[in-house]
Amino acid sequence: MSKRIAIVEDDAAIRENYADVLRMQGYQVQTYANKNSAMEAFNLRLPHLAILDIGLEHEYDAGFELCQWLRSKSTTLPIIFLTARDSDVDTVSGLRIGADDYLTKDISLPHLSARIAALFRRQDALGKPQQADHLLTIGPLTLDSQRMTIQWQNQHVELTITEFWMLFALAKHPGHVKNRSQLMQDSNIYVDDSTITSHIKRIRKKFNQLDVTFNCIETVYGMGYRWNQSAVEPTGS
Amino acid sequence: MAMKWRFGLRSKLLLLSSFLFTIPWFGYQYVWEMEKYLRYGQEQTIIGTARALATAMHERANLFNNQASFLPSVEKGKDLYSYGLSAPIQLDGLNQDWPDFANKAHFYQQNNQLYSQLTPEQLSINFTAAVGTYGKYLYLYFAVIDDKVIYRNSNARSIINNDHLELAFINPQGIFSRFIISNKTTGWIDAYRITDVENNIPVPAKKIQGHWRDTPQGYNVEVRVPLTEFNDNIAFAVHDVDSPLGIVEASLGSADPSSADTLGTILVPSPEIERIVKGMSYTNSSIWVVDQHHRVLATTGNIKQANGVWNKRVNLDNKRDKNADINVIYSAWLSFEHNILKPLYEKILTQPPRNFIDQLYDSENLTGKHIESALSGEPMSQWRLTTDQQAVVLSAAYPIFIDEIVKGAVIVEETTNGIRTLRNQALEKLFSSILAIMLLGALAFFLFASRISNRIRTLSNQAEMAIDEHGRISGNVDTSTTNDEIGDLSRSFSTAVNRLGQYNHYLENMSSRLSHELRTPIAVVRTSLETLAIQQQTKNTQKLTNESVDEIVNNSEDKAEHKNPYLVRAQHGIERLSLILTNMNEATRIEQMLQNTEKNVFDLAQVYNGCMHGYRLIYPKVNFLSNEMTIERLKVSGSPEHIAQLLDKVIANAVEFSSDENVEVSVKESSQQVILTISNNGELLPEQMSEQLFDSMVSIRTKHNNDQPHLGLGLYIARLICQFHNGSITAVNKPNRQGVDVIIKLPLI
Repeated sequence: MSKRIAIVEDDAAIRENYADVLRMQGYQVQTYANKNSAMEAFNLRLPHLAILDIGLEHEYDAGFELCQWLRSKSTTLPIIFLTARDSDVDTVSGLRIGADDYLTKDISLPHLSARIAALFRRQDALGKPQQADHLLTIGPLTLDSQRMTIQWQNQHVELTITEFWMLFALAKHPGHVKNRSQLMQDSNIYVDDSTITSHIKRIRKKFNQLDVTFNCIETVYGMGYRWNQSAVEPTGS
Repeated sequence: MAMKWRFGLRSKLLLLSSFLFTIPWFGYQYVWEMEKYLRYGQEQTIIGTARALATAMHERANLFNNQASFLPSVEKGKDLYSYGLSAPIQLDGLNQDWPDFANKAHFYQQNNQLYSQLTPEQLSINFTAAVGTYGKYLYLYFAVIDDKVIYRNSNARSIINNDHLELAFINPQGIFSRFIISNKTTGWIDAYRITDVENNIPVPAKKIQGHWRDTPQGYNVEVRVPLTEFNDNIAFAVHDVDSPLGIVEASLGSADPSSADTLGTILVPSPEIERIVKGMSYTNSSIWVVDQHHRVLATTGNIKQANGVWNKRVNLDNKRDKNADINVIYSAWLSFEHNILKPLYEKILTQPPRNFIDQLYDSENLTGKHIESALSGEPMSQWRLTTDQQAVVLSAAYPIFIDEIVKGAVIVEETTNGIRTLRNQALEKLFSSILAIMLLGALAFFLFASRISNRIRTLSNQAEMAIDEHGRISGNVDTSTTNDEIGDLSRSFSTAVNRLGQYNHYLENMSSRLSHELRTPIAVVRTSLETLAIQQQTKNTQKLTNESVDEIVNNSEDKAEHKNPYLVRAQHGIERLSLILTNMNEATRIEQMLQNTEKNVFDLAQVYNGCMHGYRLIYPKVNFLSNEMTIERLKVSGSPEHIAQLLDKVIANAVEFSSDENVEVSVKESSQQVILTISNNGELLPEQMSEQLFDSMVSIRTKHNNDQPHLGLGLYIARLICQFHNGSITAVNKPNRQGVDVIIKLPLI
């Protein structure tokens, strides 16, 4: 059974382009131009994945409202924001109300489809038993590349797909410095340097909520970032 | 630059207020004018007084009935004037009880000889005589100088063969009488009547009394005659005899006493006129009545007290001042006035003299143009100075007519002291109050001007501060709440600055807004191109699976040559456009991020060393001249990531502009701040651009690099980061003009 994807986007050209590409990849795609038509349809039947724009027609925050409403209907439904708004504030609020990823419109279609595929993979994997060969354990950190989940000291850390990919790229080779463009490539996005900085900050913050002493993601000024295993070992031993 | 003196608001207002100084000048002029009118008034008053007095005497012929009045002229020594004596005279032959004897006496000598005319050598006699009236008697005093005093022989029958005096009168009944004073010794005189006698035997005249006294030079004789004995014709003579029982050798006298026709006249001040004049003595004037021969008939008042009618009022004013109610400020002002102003005024203003000497008139004869004029029938008044030039005297003369003939004149004199005192007081009052008003006025003016100019200066400073030297809005102008023109100006300034600020903000955010707006259409183009590419790819490979799309994406670079070249170019173009958008947005994103970034204290050396290490790897061709920074010494409060970003931007800039692949980075530290200097050798900065370089979307690149879009945002971001750290960034040409120094200053903790 092919997955059903809903695109809520007021710009017809973009909407149809996305829809066409996704259809080409075998998904069933429904498109909606505004909040009300989307909600009517979602009331009847929820899609498997929703791609939302934030500003819809005349409603400035319609995407956020829609996301909240969807999240209240289903806690597991993957939701992606795809928007022209790239300010930090919007990103943070978008993720806070339950979106699985927040993408700007300059993302390329292959990157987008990679992300969609990843989200579906993760959803599918959640239903299956954990497979040991997908697990990567580095000190207190446990990564499941199949389910795209992370555990720190056996506690679950909620990360978006982008963040997971970024962390995965760093933690795969502890001690190796990854510069920003490498991180962008690994996490299938193309953004500016300061967006990478804020992604790293957000990841650190999520770890810090669980462990105040967390400092494994180290900034190497002028070069990039690395997973510093030594910083955690004294506490681990 | 030397402070140039400016003609500011305050000086202008001071200049304008100096026009206030014309007020005292006008006041001064006004007071002078007033004095002129007062003088004119006084002149009229005094003429009025003279006229009134003259009116009282017109046509009263009995006041002027003495003979002298009808004489065409009077001869001094012959026509006598009898002074009114102020004290009784003791008949003792001494003149010390005659007041002012020397001035009142007349000296008789050679030219007063009566019969024989001897030469001065032959004449052995002369005398001084004075005439005065006291009570009902006429007093005569003779001081005779004679080389030989011959008394009447005790047995002699003759009374003329010795030194003797002769008096002759015509009495009111018209009877002519002659008297001889012929003494046998000193002491009481022996007087004889020699007219109307039987057998030529002289009859002792009891009514003529007197004293004969010997003196070393001769003899003195003091005589009194009842006023009833004569009317106004009189003559006296001194007969000199130089040998016992000898004959008269010389006779000196006022007139020939031998016949009624040859007598001289005497003027006795008329008690009638005196009474009339006395009635006028309460006018504060000095009054004379003269006959046509300028001889004083009556006098009253003293010129020194004759201040005119103004004096009384002046004094009243003074009294009222002393009774004024006591108020602290008023009394302070009064004491200031009394202690400082009064002495000053006394120096500046001519005070009326209390003592002055006026000797213009002797008490017998009055002269002066006004008297001449009055005696010729024309009333006249004149101003004159006293003889010591101290006081100004106003005199008026008015003729007295009897039968349409001028018989005398009334002269009234006053000093202008009253007016002068009045004027001085007016001037003092004027100056004092004007001084007070001007002090207050000037102070108020000055305060007002200071307040205005301060407000304007504050506003001007604020306006200057609001926009810094780069034209950036750095602050707001405080809106004034004052509801006047300056307040309006301040408010409009504030509005203007706010609007300018909003506009600047709009400009600074322009790039981000633009990128935001452009993003959607670009996304349309891009997604369309990508879809097109994928469709072509699938056509080429004839595969339509999900996996193949991934594969195509991953291998797109390798297979680019198989693609439609136009599609490839379009994709390149759109990528660049997208990159431009991303860069345009970066500044805004950094600004937003900085707003949400918390400042932490971090080690600058760690960031710096790491960055420099990184740059050597990133730019392998460039030679970096720098030293490792000592760690754990330079602590900065802020965000290390952003400092790294700042260095990235500046180093990238330096590398790009370097002409010899050398970039020098030096670190200087002081107690307060650390100074990083990044210098390269290369293109110089245009002169005016060194500051604008750090503004949004300013680029001075001359050579164009088509691969990398340059929007002039790199250094703008560097500036934002420096500002966030309370630091500064400047770019200057190196002193040797071979390159550019970018100087970053960051405050230390």
